[in-house]
Amino acid sequence: MTTEPAPRPPLDLTDRLAAVTEATEEHLAHTDRAAEFPVAALDALRRTALLGLLVPVAHGGLGGTARDLVAAAQTLGRSDMSVGMIFAMHCQQAAALVHYGSERLRKEVLPRIAAGECYLASVTTEAGKGGHLLSAQAQLADEGGELAVERFAPIVTGGTHADGFLITMRSPGADATAHEVTLVYAHRDQLDLTASGDWQPMGMRAGHSAALTLTGRVPGHQVVGEVGEFHRIAATVFGPLAHLGWSAVWLGTAAGALSRVLRLLRSPAGRARFDLTSELLLTRIARSRQRLDTVHALLQQALRTVESGADLSAPARQLQLNALKITASEECLAAVDDLIAALGLRHGYLKDSPTRLEQALRDLRSAPLNYSNDRLHLADGRLALRDQGVSFA
Amino acid sequence: MDARFTALLRPFLKPAGPGEITLTPDTDLRKLGVDSMQAIELLFAVEDTFGISLPDEELNDTTFATAGSLWNVIAAQLPAGAGDGTAGRETA
Repeated sequence: MTTEPAPRPPLDLTDRLAAVTEATEEHLAHTDRAAEFPVAALDALRRTALLGLLVPVAHGGLGGTARDLVAAAQTLGRSDMSVGMIFAMHCQQAAALVHYGSERLRKEVLPRIAAGECYLASVTTEAGKGGHLLSAQAQLADEGGELAVERFAPIVTGGTHADGFLITMRSPGADATAHEVTLVYAHRDQLDLTASGDWQPMGMRAGHSAALTLTGRVPGHQVVGEVGEFHRIAATVFGPLAHLGWSAVWLGTAAGALSRVLRLLRSPAGRARFDLTSELLLTRIARSRQRLDTVHALLQQALRTVESGADLSAPARQLQLNALKITASEECLAAVDDLIAALGLRHGYLKDSPTRLEQALRDLRSAPLNYSNDRLHLADGRLALRDQGVSFA
Repeated sequence: MDARFTALLRPFLKPAGPGEITLTPDTDLRKLGVDSMQAIELLFAVEDTFGISLPDEELNDTTFATAGSLWNVIAAQLPAGAGDGTAGRETA
């Protein structure tokens, strides 16, 4: 009997994550109220080298895996969903550079990410394309070997604080269709940036996501992957790591909320205030916990699927990853809603409760909208039709 | 790639400019608009035209990548002699 070589044990990120969590919690109330980017948390992510989590050791990074990303995202999500999402999305961008950047680009950018000098933002949204990740209207112009970028994006998370940008554009050339999408990297100093609009969302208020106009020129080696090959990056890196990372953050946010509720209930004051023999209360706590165990199980299984190295374009595997995103976004939100019903107005609904359920619910309400579940259901219907035998990944 | 195949494929393709596309085994279907949404419609057209059912395990992105890769999967399901060989040995 042969066995696979034992995978590297997970990185011990405890101290690094604790430093980020501390910076996050200190400014949490302010960043939420003022809808401000969590600069202190980002500084801590830079200082602790966590921005380089997925950068290989050879380029100065921590050499982490998807499993390390999931663990870290879950921990950060427990403190603040905005910080967790900012971190997870940065790591997803970094992984695209690691796997698809040219040798020259990797040498230029990866050490800077590892040193905490390069926080990456993603520019994939575009007006009028209805959230279709794999299409692009604005076109790269080939100007004597350099590529001219001129692009408006309605939502760029962290755009005003990012040091580098990964931008989807239509490939250059007169015959390029909207389906020929190229990913390019640009340093902040290669671009003129104009932010516009006001960020006043219901939740995710620290996940500052203003509209951004980007104009500039980049050398040819800053194309990530081949020209027109963004769909491959999306299928192998962006999609899988987005669904894993986001779901981990959402699970962390709901788990953090449940944990704070349980600590409150078990404190002397909580036991005086709440009847812990109430069958209604027990049932609501149980239901919330059950939802989180469902998400946790699916997250772990999807992680194993991604780690297996199998072709992720196979319908059963795509369906599983989409099911993770849809289930996590719905169940984590519902789990927090259960807790609000369980605790009532004072500790369920008021901003100043130590349970922070009010913020968790507002933040998690964005999860089904972030790469909309409606769109994923449509994709899943078509994928299901391609798997008549109903196989499972 | 036989004529029935190229005829059924053509309506799915949306070139950027005017004029007919020359279909070859290397024709990139994704660039011409066959995304995962279109792929299922194309699958139905293939199965209706040839009266075959493509195996589940072949219905991945690689199969729908080019005209030739799709034709190879179709040809493997046709009765012996009905298909005219793999795409690699054919000209469109």
